[in-house]
Amino acid sequence: MITTPPKHRAFSPWRIHAIASNALLELARLKVFYFLLLFALLIIGSSAFMMEFPFHEQFQVLKDLSLGAMSIFTWLLAVLATAMILPKDIEDRTLYTILAKPVPRVEYLLGKLLGVLWLLLLSTVLMSAMFALALATKEHLVVAQTMREMAHAPQEQLQAALRDVHEHAFTSSLVPGVLSIYLKAAIFASLTLLLSTFATSSIFTIIVSFVIYFIGHVQHIAREEWLGSAHPMAMKKVFLALVALLFPDLQLFNLVDDIVAGNAIQMALFVKTVGLGCAYTFVYAFVAYVIFAYKEL
Amino acid sequence: MADSLVPAISIRNLTKVYPIPFKRERVVAVRNLSLHVEPGQVYGLLGPNGSGKSTTMKIILGLVSPTEGTTTIFGRDSSEVESREQVGFLPENPYFYKFLTGEETLFFYGKICGLRGAKLRERTRELLALVGLEGARDRRLGGYSKGMLQRIGLAQALVQEPRLLVLDEPTAGVDPAGSREIRDLILNFKTRGITVMLCSHLLEQVQEICDRIGILHQGKLVREGRLEELISIENQTELILENASPDLLRQIGALVSGSDAKLIAQHQPQRTLERFFLEVTGKEK
Repeated sequence: MITTPPKHRAFSPWRIHAIASNALLELARLKVFYFLLLFALLIIGSSAFMMEFPFHEQFQVLKDLSLGAMSIFTWLLAVLATAMILPKDIEDRTLYTILAKPVPRVEYLLGKLLGVLWLLLLSTVLMSAMFALALATKEHLVVAQTMREMAHAPQEQLQAALRDVHEHAFTSSLVPGVLSIYLKAAIFASLTLLLSTFATSSIFTIIVSFVIYFIGHVQHIAREEWLGSAHPMAMKKVFLALVALLFPDLQLFNLVDDIVAGNAIQMALFVKTVGLGCAYTFVYAFVAYVIFAYKEL
Repeated sequence: MADSLVPAISIRNLTKVYPIPFKRERVVAVRNLSLHVEPGQVYGLLGPNGSGKSTTMKIILGLVSPTEGTTTIFGRDSSEVESREQVGFLPENPYFYKFLTGEETLFFYGKICGLRGAKLRERTRELLALVGLEGARDRRLGGYSKGMLQRIGLAQALVQEPRLLVLDEPTAGVDPAGSREIRDLILNFKTRGITVMLCSHLLEQVQEICDRIGILHQGKLVREGRLEELISIENQTELILENASPDLLRQIGALVSGSDAKLIAQHQPQRTLERFFLEVTGKEK
């Protein structure tokens, strides 16, 4: 018996949610979370290795190593997960079965991107929790050691020493640091999705993403040269403009170095970083949609 | 126009040209194709490899845009997303998501078609029963056989209760028993009033299930019409007798020789190899 199907909606968050959840499930069942074990081993190993260092160095190395590893892992995850998600659907013809349903292409693409962004969020939260746990454990050990060593010292001296320990342990500036790491990964997920809409293979997408990662770290030099130099050669000016306009400025998202060095992150800088991160992610996703909308499958 | 009078598929003057990158040459995949599929029909689109069948199907499904011409599904332009509410599609050799179970697969396709809650669960249960996969509902698709994958493919195609099914080689790579099960399912869809358009190289099977066929060659529709009309030999008549005695056969022969007609062949009919295979393997119902 044929009944009336549900009324079609031009844009449905429910359909996007279904595609995003499926993408997240796909990545989770591919066991991509195993890299978290590697992260845990890294911070536990480094904590054991630093026992002989002064406590402020121990905190600094732990923060440096953990935030650095988080940055690399989330970026790698963003590139590798996104690079395979679209070509695999095309190769397996699963894409045909989805787009042959009343699903607009923009919802399909948005769903896939959201799935990867959820995966990155989950990974960042889990790594942050491990990092916070390692930091809290280290703080607890250092506090206990300080109290043992200063058992006979005057109360004021002990309190000052403990305050010093707490100031070197968890600081609120770690939060913007972690957020900037997530934003950088989100930009790369969006950029890799854009590349995979016209790339002929996942390998091509991954290699180009890696190259863009390195270009992104020197983009500011090209931008300054483009905007600053008065009379450069026309060809050079065009080249510099292309680099400055097409590639993201990844140096803007390097808040981690300042945070590890103990410098406070100003609110204005943080808001600018978040805004730029969202803008880059949106622009790359929008261009990906424009290409995908006209792609012959 | 009454719903039953609107063609399930209407293709008018369809042409698709693919440019070859970095060359001035172009490939004409489909040339000026026009055809209609009436509601409730099983239509077979036949042709050798590269004849334009898949391109035509993709245009019908809105996966590829035509260079010229129009295609409609139940009166709606097939480039509109809404037209796909009425269509279910099974591609050739689909893999689907291997990490999902049979039930999860139908949940996923149901959700993207707007189904949810009790209605989605009920529809999934119905479809798993229809394609005979209730026992494999919790098994991941990675462990499904070729025939099971085709059947879950048919189930996902039917999830939103479409009025049109587009099937690309639905029995490709499936063993004779599985192939027959799929054929029976297609005939079942027909009794439910679902229009089916299929592409297949298995001409014997097409002959068994299609009402109408179109043959494409080098992008052009070279023949089209009702199957019986296209394949019947108009000046010949076939008599199949059961328990005919040699005397009766002699009498018939004498009658024929005394007339203007000519006896071309006289032999015992043979069962098909498929039927023989199914009998031997005990899978004949």
